[in-house]
Amino acid sequence: MRVPISWLREYVDLPDDAQHIADRLAMLGFPVEEIAARPVITGVVVGKIVAIEKHPNADRLQVCKVDIGADAPLRIATAATNVAAEQVIPVATIGAQLPHLKIEPRKMRGVESQGMMCSAEELALPAEWFEDGIMQLDPSTPLGANVVELFGLADAVLDVEVTSNRVDAMSVLGLARELSASYGVALRLPSFENPGRDADPPGHAPRVTIESTDCTRFVAQAFDGVRVTAAPAWMRVRLALTGQRPISNLVDVSNYVMLETAQPLHFYDAAQMRDRHLVVRDARPDETIVTLDEVERTLTPQALVVADGDRALGLAGLMGGASSEVRESTTAIVLESANFEGVRVRRMSMQLGLRSEASSRHEKTLAPALADIGAARAAQLLVQMGAHAYRPHAFGAELRTAAPIALAARDVERLLGLRLDATRIARHLEMLGCAVTVHGDALEVTPPAWRRDLAIAADLVEEVARMEGYDAIEPIEPAVPAHAIPSAQYELETQLAATLAGLGYREILSYSLQSPQVMTRVKRAGLTPSREPVEVRNPLSEDQRFLRWALGPGMLEYFARIDTPARVFEIGHVFSNENTVTEIPVLAFGFSVDPIDEPSWRDTNFLRLKGDCEALLRAVCGITVDATRDVRAGLHPGKTAVLMHDGREIANFGKMDPRVTRSFGVRLPVYLCNIFLEHVPEYRIPRYRPPSKFPSTYRDLALVVDLDVTADQVSRTTRRAIGELCLGVRAFDEYRGPQVGEGRKSLAIRATIGRFDATITDEEADAAIARAIDALRDETGATIRT
Amino acid sequence: MSELAARLDDVQARFAQAVAAADDERALDAVRVAYLGRSGEVTAVRRGIGQLPPAERPDAGKVINAVVERMEAALADATARLENRAFDAELAQSIDVTFPAIEPATGSIHPVRRVLQDAVAYFTRHGFATVLGMEIEPDYYTFDALNIPATHPAREGFDSFFISDSLLLRPHTSPMQIRTMQQHKPPIAVVAPGKCYRRDAVDARHLFQFHQIEGLLVAEGIHFGHLKGMLTGLCRELFGADQRVRFRPSFFPFTEPSAEVDTTCPKCKAQSAACGMCGGSGWIELGGAGMVHPNVLREVGYDTEIYTGWAFGFGIERLALTRYDIDDIRRFVDCDPDFLTQLA
Ligand SMILES: [Zn+2]
Repeated sequence: MRVPISWLREYVDLPDDAQHIADRLAMLGFPVEEIAARPVITGVVVGKIVAIEKHPNADRLQVCKVDIGADAPLRIATAATNVAAEQVIPVATIGAQLPHLKIEPRKMRGVESQGMMCSAEELALPAEWFEDGIMQLDPSTPLGANVVELFGLADAVLDVEVTSNRVDAMSVLGLARELSASYGVALRLPSFENPGRDADPPGHAPRVTIESTDCTRFVAQAFDGVRVTAAPAWMRVRLALTGQRPISNLVDVSNYVMLETAQPLHFYDAAQMRDRHLVVRDARPDETIVTLDEVERTLTPQALVVADGDRALGLAGLMGGASSEVRESTTAIVLESANFEGVRVRRMSMQLGLRSEASSRHEKTLAPALADIGAARAAQLLVQMGAHAYRPHAFGAELRTAAPIALAARDVERLLGLRLDATRIARHLEMLGCAVTVHGDALEVTPPAWRRDLAIAADLVEEVARMEGYDAIEPIEPAVPAHAIPSAQYELETQLAATLAGLGYREILSYSLQSPQVMTRVKRAGLTPSREPVEVRNPLSEDQRFLRWALGPGMLEYFARIDTPARVFEIGHVFSNENTVTEIPVLAFGFSVDPIDEPSWRDTNFLRLKGDCEALLRAVCGITVDATRDVRAGLHPGKTAVLMHDGREIANFGKMDPRVTRSFGVRLPVYLCNIFLEHVPEYRIPRYRPPSKFPSTYRDLALVVDLDVTADQVSRTTRRAIGELCLGVRAFDEYRGPQVGEGRKSLAIRATIGRFDATITDEEADAAIARAIDALRDETGATIRT
Repeated sequence: MSELAARLDDVQARFAQAVAAADDERALDAVRVAYLGRSGEVTAVRRGIGQLPPAERPDAGKVINAVVERMEAALADATARLENRAFDAELAQSIDVTFPAIEPATGSIHPVRRVLQDAVAYFTRHGFATVLGMEIEPDYYTFDALNIPATHPAREGFDSFFISDSLLLRPHTSPMQIRTMQQHKPPIAVVAPGKCYRRDAVDARHLFQFHQIEGLLVAEGIHFGHLKGMLTGLCRELFGADQRVRFRPSFFPFTEPSAEVDTTCPKCKAQSAACGMCGGSGWIELGGAGMVHPNVLREVGYDTEIYTGWAFGFGIERLALTRYDIDDIRRFVDCDPDFLTQLA
């Protein structure tokens, strides 16, 4: 909200410095987005054209005699066409400083001109919002008065942000009250007394029927003797400074009162209403209304309208209708100052795609008492402009004083850590408009009628804190009491990330929301996604349609984008929609890599990935899990392994299916490992087993086995056959080719053999290895290659 | 005897020449074999002892042994000479040490995680646990339990991504306040970092997906001063000891009193009206905080007469942008290799 400091000064004495005021507002909870300084203007006074004559040497110029309350009138030549005798206008005298001009004595076509009459633009007001030519002031303006002071043109305008709970402060008066309380200076309130005392003529009293619970209160008041014209200059200038275009005296009064008190108003042309009877009701299905912006709108019963007997005259709290709009011929009006339920106004505004200054306040639900205040202020201004006010009629719920809130000085200390005595607390709250009674340390606080946000003691404590200033509260590091809340999940993630960074992987982040194109790519590769994806109901764009069901696709997009070998990891949640929506924390790591020229039955990069996976799990779980071959969507069907533990899949890994890789536009082969964080077993402390004091020996075996016999099977068989003498078995070479024969492969293994109680003899080792050979032959069909 | 001596002289002379001529270890080894080996020249001379009169034999043996000793010493000297020559040659080498390094294949942690970890470390040191939650939350945890009424604009589907009528992607980490308090009895001291989602159009300052760190301390005797103390300490931990922290009143349904928390701009130290980091204000907005609203404590069955607490929620990307002086928030998801390398 744009607030001219000059307007604030009408209600409260403030420091000169705009920055100081802005800082104070920020520390009260009203951040100032912008301080719009005004240009320096000096030497402009109020003048009156007392005589006017044609310029002797120029057809398009006129020469005016202007009284500025000094001894002699000034002679001023002007090219403006809207000048006439008796007009009161701003005059820049010799030596005056205007935004882009310094006024000096000069001759205009031979006539000496002793100053310049000013347009609104020359006073740094928006030219298109004021009359063409010389700005017109009210006839009653004192001659010679300083125009800049009179209209508050020097003070900066603040753009103030108001939180949604403080709609009462979306007003100059509301902010002035905050500043008054904070600076501890008096607030000069305008009168809130309604000047309308006369009873309406018979049959002319406005009536309101409230058919919706979303209208809490409705003050209606009739006026006649209205003349529609321009508002007085001071009001037009104030509105212009707040960014509100002046329209006519009636429209300007409603805007002015809203800006001043926060209560939006509406005026109906009484002649255009049926029976002066207003009905607040739900719109009828397909009812139409042409709003003030001249758009015809079709309504649904979700809309709340103010209607007369026949038709909707306006959208409640949002915008009036064109049919009952005040026009130049208007002489009698009915004022509406009403209170509506914020949700209703907001939803209607959303549904119709229509917002207004009024709705921006109503949608936050104003206090009902403001309806009466708004009507009173409007009536005062209208009466000043010559209208006749009849007495106001209030409909809806009676105004009720809020229930008092019990507050103890101890509550303040308990929440703020700030020890204040009850009288000091009471003074703060009173400055904000609360009624307070103090009994020792206990306070009974009745919040002011215009505030709806004060309901419990904590709300009042915040008020006290704002008045003391949050800066007054001493920062203290708390002694955090002991508790037993575990951090295991976080620690696991941290350790996984650190270990992977140590293994040379870089962490990336990708979007959890994906475009349907990701799915298309998977399908184009001839696959279906590993999980049924979860759809977002209200994405901002198609790029956010689905929640990711795996981290692989995001990683592929990354590899495609950077197009050079890379090692990366990501920790994030994936989502699936099997019967219910489930969310799974996953770690994926992998690399894109230049292909190695090697036989089809060997994949060195796979073994590297496997090594990293084993190293990672050893670091975080302290265990090694044996890999088994399996198939997973997105991975190469012949190059995929899973790690199972306690019947749960800790990880799967392998080369990515080349069809998927290609579908995502990745040129290089990709190797990927998925780790399911919820299945990763807790770290188990490994136990140290000292090596034997006696030397061990080893035997290498070259076996020929069928292709489906795995290194793991061979190792297990060997280990079991050798028994307790076996210190380790490891396959170290594989070969397939013509020498070995069709359907067979050669495997080289090394068995390390030893004893813990004596040096192993060659005879013992040979006997052990002979047992292994027998077992391998019987169980795996191995033959020994020599 | 004299004949033997003459032969020995001859052998020694030729040996000396051969040693002098040997240019490397192998040549030297060949000399050793030729003279001192099993069928070498000295062995041949030693065999001649048998033809000497028995009385002369011991002396001849001594003479030969002495010669062998001298020859072995000469060989050792020669070996040392060759080794030193090799060292001299290697030590004579020199390189341009300013030549660019060969970069190792290093890994790294994403700057967002790094800032998150540093923030968490500060709280861990002060006795807080760290808890993680889910990103899809029912509206009960996201709104109702946090004192955000059904009519609140945030619930209309303009700010958050909805999955169903009642499930949404959490727009803040605050559901973890409720979940933690439901699972544990007071005292509670946790931070909860994690991803959040809001329907914001993506630009240099906004992502629709971001990280927050939530903090919650509920115990007896906890007040706003403790909130100020911890968050001031956090900013100093992250940005430096001279950091100032400002608390401004604000409004959140789940805290009362509420505050916005700002810290002095570490880039310009509030000295530049043209600063791109703080927009010239001198302050960086970190997020919201406040004393836990009594309705929230009551919702989880805590006695508000006994317990008070505070909570805060900070945007981690904002902390990281500020800390690393990053110009565009989208760089966090682009993960350009150069970006990751610079911040590794
Ligand atoms: Zn800055």
